[in-house]
Amino acid sequence: MPIDPVVYEYIASEVECPANQIIIEEGSKGDWVYVVLEGQVKVKKRTPKGLIVVDTLSEGEIFGEIAFLEGEEADRSATVMAAEGSVRLGILNKELLIKHYSTMSPTLRAIIKSLALKVRETTTRICAALVAAN
Amino acid sequence: MTDSKEIIPTTYRLRYKKGEQIFKQNDFGISIYKILSGKVLIFRECDDVEVPIATLGKGSIIGEMIFFLRATEVRSASARALEDSELEVTHPIEIIKEYGASAPILKLMAEQTLNRLTRMNRFIDRLIVNKQEKPENLRSSLSLWKSNRRFYRKKVNLTCKYASKTRLKRSSATLEGTIRNISMTGLGLEIDPRNEGAIPHEIGEVFQIETILPNGKELKLLCTLVRSSKGRGYISLGMTYLDLSDEARKILGFFLLP
Repeated sequence: MPIDPVVYEYIASEVECPANQIIIEEGSKGDWVYVVLEGQVKVKKRTPKGLIVVDTLSEGEIFGEIAFLEGEEADRSATVMAAEGSVRLGILNKELLIKHYSTMSPTLRAIIKSLALKVRETTTRICAALVAAN
Repeated sequence: MTDSKEIIPTTYRLRYKKGEQIFKQNDFGISIYKILSGKVLIFRECDDVEVPIATLGKGSIIGEMIFFLRATEVRSASARALEDSELEVTHPIEIIKEYGASAPILKLMAEQTLNRLTRMNRFIDRLIVNKQEKPENLRSSLSLWKSNRRFYRKKVNLTCKYASKTRLKRSSATLEGTIRNISMTGLGLEIDPRNEGAIPHEIGEVFQIETILPNGKELKLLCTLVRSSKGRGYISLGMTYLDLSDEARKILGFFLLP
């Protein structure tokens, strides 16, 4: 799948991950933003019934953006692990992202932040619904 | 982060009494709301089932999803005041302009985030609706066919084309599969495991499936993936129709008559 050319301008470094390596851990601090360059990653959430896969992201998809967009040292909302096979990730230039984000008006930032908060809440609701359904 | 720019949007305040609707799913509308006081319920209406999404209070922003869709789409959820509430309503003309001129990387992030949210909401709809719908209700909900005619799951061997409807437009490839069985509520699709490398086949994903029935009739179906199991050299997918058009219902109904 094509990767949006825009992301290449922001890739500060690249990293290869073996299958099942944890890239982001739910609940931890951090606001690096990543893009999948090759392979797939699994997004998982902790539940009383163990880790549940809530999404799979492939080439061109950005992740880690929720904590970044929410700001204020938000916790990571989910765990992201490398799926089977080779996974190559781009780590986006955080300084540049912060620079862009901070020049937005507070109103626009609040709107984008609200979207990120909803993804976080909805991910939690999916887990609750999945646990209830099984 | 510093607030380098302050935009004064077109803003006014509205009061809603407990129980009043603020906006309705599928309505056209561009305004963004900020809750100043009170409580608001956001919910989705799916197959006549109300699916609550969130209860939001002071400071929360609602109705912002339409902003990213740039008013080309309709509201994805409804909002109702749970208690007497005051909301600040903004017509985001200036913010739309600002967003348009924002760094493309941030727009890409916002669009992908929105895409993810839409996908997850649809998934939850199905989970909740499926749980509430008993088989007899499911049959009666197919209004055109609520007579005593019986349909069943028919074994078939139909080549079909399918594409993701929940993934980014630019990344959605059209793939091939074989429909192994079909009913009025869903179908069983067999695919090559390599298809998973092209687009994710996660539970909850929405796909558009196109096939031609043995009687020559073309069938287009919008389905959500509800089950996936691996066989030797193939993957078996269980799909449930999200929305069956009257035409598709007729075509399928006649095809499935015993």
